[in-house]
Amino acid sequence: MDALFMTDFLAASIRIATPLALAALGGILSERSGTFAVGLEGQMLTGAFFGVIGTFLLGHIGWGLVAAALGGMGLALLVATATVRFHTEHMVTGIASNILALGLTSFMLRALVGQGQAPVIRIPTLEAWSVPYLSDLPVVGPLLFTQPPLTYFTVLAIVPVSLFLFRTRAGLTLRAVGENPQAAFAAGARPDRVRMAAIVAGGAFAGLAGAVLSLQQVGTFTDGMTSGRGYLVLAAIIVGRWMPLGTLAACLVFGAAEALSLRVQAFSLPVSSYVIQMLPYLAALAVLAGLGRSARLPAAIGKPFRQG
Amino acid sequence: MSTLVSPSPRPLGAARFLGAARRAQPLLRAVASIVLALVITSMLILMAGKNPIEAYGHMVMGAFGSWDRIIVGLNKTTPYLLCAVGIALCFRGQVINIGAEGQLAIGGIGAAVVALTWGTLPAWALIPLCLAAGALGGAGWAGIAATIRISRGVHEVLVTLLMNFVALLIVAEVLHGEMGEVGAGFPQTPLFESAAWLPKLISGTDLHIGILLAVLAALAASFLLWRTTLGFRWRLVGASPSAARYAGVSAGRAVFGLMASAGALAGLAGAIECLGVHYRLIEGFSAGFGFNAVAIALMGALNPLYVLPAALFFGFLETGALAMQRQIGVPSSLVLVIQGLTMVFVLCAIGRSDAEKI
Repeated sequence: MDALFMTDFLAASIRIATPLALAALGGILSERSGTFAVGLEGQMLTGAFFGVIGTFLLGHIGWGLVAAALGGMGLALLVATATVRFHTEHMVTGIASNILALGLTSFMLRALVGQGQAPVIRIPTLEAWSVPYLSDLPVVGPLLFTQPPLTYFTVLAIVPVSLFLFRTRAGLTLRAVGENPQAAFAAGARPDRVRMAAIVAGGAFAGLAGAVLSLQQVGTFTDGMTSGRGYLVLAAIIVGRWMPLGTLAACLVFGAAEALSLRVQAFSLPVSSYVIQMLPYLAALAVLAGLGRSARLPAAIGKPFRQG
Repeated sequence: MSTLVSPSPRPLGAARFLGAARRAQPLLRAVASIVLALVITSMLILMAGKNPIEAYGHMVMGAFGSWDRIIVGLNKTTPYLLCAVGIALCFRGQVINIGAEGQLAIGGIGAAVVALTWGTLPAWALIPLCLAAGALGGAGWAGIAATIRISRGVHEVLVTLLMNFVALLIVAEVLHGEMGEVGAGFPQTPLFESAAWLPKLISGTDLHIGILLAVLAALAASFLLWRTTLGFRWRLVGASPSAARYAGVSAGRAVFGLMASAGALAGLAGAIECLGVHYRLIEGFSAGFGFNAVAIALMGALNPLYVLPAALFFGFLETGALAMQRQIGVPSSLVLVIQGLTMVFVLCAIGRSDAEKI
């Protein structure tokens, strides 16, 4: 029972952490280039929506994934234009785009599917895929090597993103723009373009993260189905200190907190399910407060770049 | 320079005109943003196969078509105005408080606790007590975020955001537990004693005194911001932290004061929603206020007085949208599109320039 519970618990943690980690990769790109990624929530929601709509209309889940990424990028482009070109407040712009995404997805769902009270499109979810041989290992096999495709993608995507950020010239430029855009400009970079590109690329990751929710986990789209996960991701990025691996670890902790909150309800504890549902948020708050000032932001984050 | 000219503070015609035009600017910007948002939204309505002019017609009729509709709109405006005034104060001091939703929820709990515990008190004592409990609850909740920001240096946006979720779960918790009405189909407290119900502004209608309290709060906030030392300190911290430090103004104290004031206003809004509209605490009563209030504060150019028309716009937009959905089946989620777009456009219109002014 104990081992079974642990396997089940860890599997759930990974499942819950997957969309968080994938969105976090996008958020890291955006924040490393100097733009707060508060719009992740809306980009995830848009991705979740277009994932389902794309699959439904184009008939293949692959097209759904493309649509999800494009949807996230579209919304990110709006945020990028406002923050980079018009120097708007990053946090508030992100939140405005989140409201917009909530309204647009809900409106389009009804406009496309019909006027029913609760329009539903059902899509078969992405199936778990067993890695040959490795999935036969005890405990580790079912846990790590029998997962749906987007989970593998998330884990694997960390490598190129890390390599890009810390081992390529373009990645260095991106980080330099987040730390000191004036210096980067003097060195020949175009901070505004770098930021636009980073935000939009981040939107692709966030859109796919939304597709994890709609295509891999639920198989449908419901209004506001991201329900605050994008904000948890922001906390995870800070806790992970803008490093892909650290952020992945933070996402796993939040995933574990939520998995625990789902499982503890099965035991008849004297605390109610609502108190337990607070766990991920309280965990995020506690870790943030614990880290405090030691979490050093990219120096130029939130600051507009003005030439000259 | 004025010693030689005239002791009269009345500026000359041209200067007065310029001053008026400058003051009209945020209004123009807001109107332009709304128009742009409505134009884009009408394309969406067209794509949904409906006539935008007809849709907006139903929206206007739904908002202003009868006295009852107007009263619903005014009641909806009340919490928006209170929350947005608080957020405007915070933003002036560069404190980005996104937690109005949670602060409002906790305020509602505070008011409900008092109303259910001391329901036998006469109305003149009970209502102020409930309102005070609401304000205190909201201020306390915001105070936690302020404390984390000041002592640990964690940005308040993230803290207030995360605390919203916790506050909503606390409401669910008390409604499913201790305070819930037994046997009700919906998570809610029992009905309050009628002594706790807010008096009507116009008897025989649903219009309660909340809108009056909200307008008073906006006036008070405006006075505080521009006519008192405290308000000057708050603006100074927002406009130039280094100048504030040089002048010996404590940034920490300003952050705490701003957050607590905004929390108190949001908490008051929560209490007013409970005492004036629902006569009980119900689940989901605070949904959506937090973010909309941010939009309203921005549309009102972070000026407590200009926030009033912006809050009216949002209040009536919502009643109108519900009518539109009933009449011709255009989904009312269009409101969120209009709100989100307006917010983005206002932000783009403001740019960074305003934030740097005192």
